[in-house]
Amino acid sequence: MAGGSGGRAGHHTGRIIFRAAATLLMVAILNFLLFRVIPGDPANMLLAGARSAITIHQIEAQRQSWGLDKPLIPNQLFSYVSATLQGDLGYSFKFRGRRVSDLILERIPATLALAGLAQLIAITIGVTLGIIAGWRRGGAVDNITTGISLALYSTPPFWLGMLLVVAFSTMLGWLPGYGAYSAGAAHVGILGRLSDHARHLILPVLAVTLGLIGQYVVVARAAMSDVVTEDYIVTARAKGLTNNQMLMRHAFRNAMLPVVTLITLNLGYVVAGAITVESVFAWPGIGSLTVEALNARDYPVLQGIFLLLGASIVFANLMADLIYGVLDPRVR
Amino acid sequence: MTLNASTQEVWFRHRRAILKAILIGSTAPLLMSSTALASCGDHVAQIAGILAPDTMNPFATWSSFWPTTFTYDFLVGVDAQRHSDRKGFAEEWSVAEDSLTWTFKIWPGMKWSDGKPATARDAAFTYNYLRDSIGKPDELNIGWNNTGGLELVEKIAALDDETLQIVTKTPTRWPVDNTVMIVPEHIWKDVSYADARSTFRNDPPLVGTGPMIIAEFQQGQFARMTPNAYFRTGQPPIAGFVFSFFPSADSIAQGLKSGDLDYGMNLTPAQWRDLSKDDGIVVGQARIEARNYLAFNTASGEGAGSTNALQDQAFRDAIGYAIDQNLIAERAFRGHADPGLGLVVPVAKDYYSDLADIRRHFDLEEAARRLDAAGYKDINGDGVREDKEGNGFQLELITGTSSGTMETPIAAVQLVAGWLGQIGIPIAVTQLDSGAVQARTALPSQGGGKWDLYIGGIWLSPSAPDLLVLGQKGVRHNRAYWQNAKFDELAAEVAKTAQLEKSQQLVDEAVRLIYKEAPYIMLAYPFMLDARRKDCFQGWGTEDLVSMWSYFPFDRMKAM
Repeated sequence: MAGGSGGRAGHHTGRIIFRAAATLLMVAILNFLLFRVIPGDPANMLLAGARSAITIHQIEAQRQSWGLDKPLIPNQLFSYVSATLQGDLGYSFKFRGRRVSDLILERIPATLALAGLAQLIAITIGVTLGIIAGWRRGGAVDNITTGISLALYSTPPFWLGMLLVVAFSTMLGWLPGYGAYSAGAAHVGILGRLSDHARHLILPVLAVTLGLIGQYVVVARAAMSDVVTEDYIVTARAKGLTNNQMLMRHAFRNAMLPVVTLITLNLGYVVAGAITVESVFAWPGIGSLTVEALNARDYPVLQGIFLLLGASIVFANLMADLIYGVLDPRVR
Repeated sequence: MTLNASTQEVWFRHRRAILKAILIGSTAPLLMSSTALASCGDHVAQIAGILAPDTMNPFATWSSFWPTTFTYDFLVGVDAQRHSDRKGFAEEWSVAEDSLTWTFKIWPGMKWSDGKPATARDAAFTYNYLRDSIGKPDELNIGWNNTGGLELVEKIAALDDETLQIVTKTPTRWPVDNTVMIVPEHIWKDVSYADARSTFRNDPPLVGTGPMIIAEFQQGQFARMTPNAYFRTGQPPIAGFVFSFFPSADSIAQGLKSGDLDYGMNLTPAQWRDLSKDDGIVVGQARIEARNYLAFNTASGEGAGSTNALQDQAFRDAIGYAIDQNLIAERAFRGHADPGLGLVVPVAKDYYSDLADIRRHFDLEEAARRLDAAGYKDINGDGVREDKEGNGFQLELITGTSSGTMETPIAAVQLVAGWLGQIGIPIAVTQLDSGAVQARTALPSQGGGKWDLYIGGIWLSPSAPDLLVLGQKGVRHNRAYWQNAKFDELAAEVAKTAQLEKSQQLVDEAVRLIYKEAPYIMLAYPFMLDARRKDCFQGWGTEDLVSMWSYFPFDRMKAM
């Protein structure tokens, strides 16, 4: 029986890994096609800032430079797929031949710092508050937490960001309102640089966190609200378990399934960053890079970013599937 | 006692939370103490604009005028012709009577920022480096430093360290009008054309002759400039400046208010008005070469619009009477623009004309009368005019989505659509992002066209050839697809004219021709809106706080 159970689990794991790989391949191909459907010509966009007359000859020269004069299918597609399979994400148009992988690696730390930290704080606070609110439904904590959470959930993070800038940067002057660090911070020592970076990080992290907290509270509260009405909770109460024992041993674990789904999905988006918040704070992360690449129709960079995003979401889903198996063996 | 007991109870119940609060609170001084990286005391100015330079290589991109203009000089360029105290690489220049031979005197004893002599040989190298690439697979024709205009040049040579001679094939003002940035031969001589037009990043610290040298470039964030110790008129007095790059003007306006920024450009009228109420801030509005216009799709055949009327001069001319440029400048631009008129912008004073004898005046009844006379009447009485094929007008007007200094505000689009609706020409407005606008307004041979009206903007140099570019055949900027042999002939002649007076006559003739033909209706000449703080630095400009064409005022600005 044990061998059979282990075999089923192995089969389950193999199936979801295969599904993840197939999804990733589809994402790679779709990435190539989707961005080319958007109207716009990279060759024209590269010359958009020109302050002198641009001739058709110059546009054609740009097109040839980046291989855009070759047929989309099969030449460009084949070239892209074969390079991607070898781990080569290509070269940026906008950034004049810089390797896409270098550009992404350059921006990822800023995004991980911003989105990662925001997720961590939001998960900790949001899930805790949601669980408490769900456990004590109808109480003052529940009413206040739910009200505030719904308000935060429905407020666009970029708007929160703008309010924070006005309050803490413009009016109070406590914190910088833009950028990841001050120019010249590199010359004030490691502690000075860290402190400077931390100060720049506070407002954008707060903007993203506030938006996410609402989301976590709402989901965790709903999950907990369902669990507290279950028969086994009534049984546990009848057995004389304390509130804490019931919460930690029975309710919490069962309420975690939808929360884990949300966490893993959101973690998948960590690498994508918070595009609008990054724009508000001029934060040099993947989100800003996406906007720059999109404005320039920089296909290789867009393909690289979305492949990474796709991979991270597929990976997060993979993790969710595997964790489900641990949390609830029935899903195997 | 009761109080003490209560305090103890609170402590025991909440000791963890209190300890956490103390711990977090202890980090506050570190975070809040403001390490003063941006302050008056360091004498480093903080400036910002909406831009996204991608490389510091002027041969590979158009996007890095800012900040490279502070490091590299033009030989002459725009500002040196307008202001005697904003010279470039050449201190003086003259043209021989044959109008072909130009002589430039380079600043004696000038040095690059690395201490090596900066001579006429560097200027000759820069131009010849470009010229020699012509016709090669890697021709340097895609960036700020490009081969445009060099086809008119016969020879470029350094006669000695201080004398550069440019001999042209035909008379032309290109030798003084061109905006090629002069680069040091000892840095660039080993850079291949293939690298120069793409992967060579020209990483900081750059070597230039401008007052401020790019010492650090963080893509998507900022460029840090340090003063050039060898600048020809002496090392600039300030300790440098940081040029921050923003995707929108909101952060710029907030940065000015909070004191994080000393200067910001690309402001919107609303932000400008708000900042103007701040006692610590001076706002500015500079006339630039930007033009916002309404273009008619005059193409026939491939890429043509929905009606042949767009190809009819009488139809376009009549529409011109239905546009109130004064109201557009006043309402849509909130007064931060000159009303549109002809092809030439007011700031190009040498060529500007008020076209008093031929200009149209806003009069909807006159517009309607002219449409009637041209055969575009409302025959069936439904309030919508019909074209000569009997089809009711329903024109598509395309425009961009962003607003601000360079883009036409949507309020202008609404005004135009409203006026045309009043004279029986209904308009459907389609807003597109910049990429889609570029795609739809590309030349029909490149897949563009099939729209009726387009409202957009352009900002080129004030040189005579660039002033006429909207009407020229084979040029991307000709969004109206208008073709006129006489106009092309005049434009070609302008490019081959060195004498200012003759050039002025030719430009005026071309401007009048295109005004009467009306493929474009100029809506406005928008200003660049900017602002500076009063507290840290002095020496900003008056007409323009910061030049849009040179290093000014960072060669002379002082800390207070």
